[in-house]
Amino acid sequence: MTREEALGKKPLQILEKIKENLERLNEKMEVMIELQKHGRKDALPLQDAPLDVMTLLSMPDHLRKTAMTVCRLGRATAEEIAEQTSRARAVESAYLNQLVIMGYLKKERKGRKAYFYPDRESHG
Amino acid sequence: MILSKIVAVHSYKGGTGKTLLSVNLAAAFAKRGKKVCLFDLDFRAPSLFTTLKAEKVECWLNDYLNGTCEIDKVLTDLSDRLQENGKFFVGLANPATEAIRDMSSKDRKWEMRALGRLLALRNALLDDKEFDYLIFDTSPGLQYSSINAIVTADLVVVATTFDRSDVDGTRRMLGELYNLFEKKTALVLNKVLDSTTKSKKDEMQKNVKSVYQVPLLGVIPCFCDVLRAEGSVIFVQDKPEHPFAKILGEMANRIDSNDIR
Repeated sequence: MTREEALGKKPLQILEKIKENLERLNEKMEVMIELQKHGRKDALPLQDAPLDVMTLLSMPDHLRKTAMTVCRLGRATAEEIAEQTSRARAVESAYLNQLVIMGYLKKERKGRKAYFYPDRESHG
Repeated sequence: MILSKIVAVHSYKGGTGKTLLSVNLAAAFAKRGKKVCLFDLDFRAPSLFTTLKAEKVECWLNDYLNGTCEIDKVLTDLSDRLQENGKFFVGLANPATEAIRDMSSKDRKWEMRALGRLLALRNALLDDKEFDYLIFDTSPGLQYSSINAIVTADLVVVATTFDRSDVDGTRRMLGELYNLFEKKTALVLNKVLDSTTKSKKDEMQKNVKSVYQVPLLGVIPCFCDVLRAEGSVIFVQDKPEHPFAKILGEMANRIDSNDIR
């Protein structure tokens, strides 16, 4: 790699890092907005609440749709969920993060992408 | 439009004819050259083991849901019983008392994993093994195993009778269970007296639409021959000219052509 190429790559990497951080910040804000909307200020995640069908039944409609889609796909990003539900990515991201806070889903980052999934493998 | 590849046969009450419908619907698909697998998800009262006179079972569906075996080992090939080109497999529930007791005492975490395993059948069987249809015979009412089957299915076929408590319960279940899961649902009226004339059938169709708000897949008259067979005859296969077999054949055609309105 020439010196010019290396110099050209650095600003790009910095921009990508900024974008990544902005996305994370955005997600956090979405969670806070969602929690405020539903009057929850004690935002402590619950420990491993099983996402079984009875839990799905008792959920509010908007969360059930998201949770069921994650169950069906097994593991998905907010964008993939949004494609299935025909709702905006930002909306799904907020619902997914709320489901994580409630303990029904796990979240795992891989590079710039955040994956959501029901934790079916842990024991207990 | 989503094709109905996974069909759950369910009802509010017991004795509405779910198993009879499931077995004959699966046989009707196989008769049409399809590759079909029928699963017994009635873990509290398994019946397909007896109905289909299965002899050698390597693994039960219970084992697959417990995570102790792969789905290939659960499938029993009964295609040799058909005179047609189709393939007919079954996945059976363990009828032993100990197994029934075990399945009744599972916790929510287990049920969540079982749902994951049922959902995985779509990839494992429809995509990888090229099955055309999976039919779930379920237990009545709001049991975990039945709701897991409903969540997994593309189409829920609800068997109901004119029994008042059944009508009431079915209506509630449609509103408070299937609707919440946004499931495509179709109704089968079973054990119907006096459904022979066209005007009677039209009237019934209209009534079902207004009472249940879902499409009617079929009307099955009360056949003494079916009762007399005591669950030992697969009408679609053994008595294809019987009116019951013809009605089931029409239902299979409608599901296959996605004609459920």
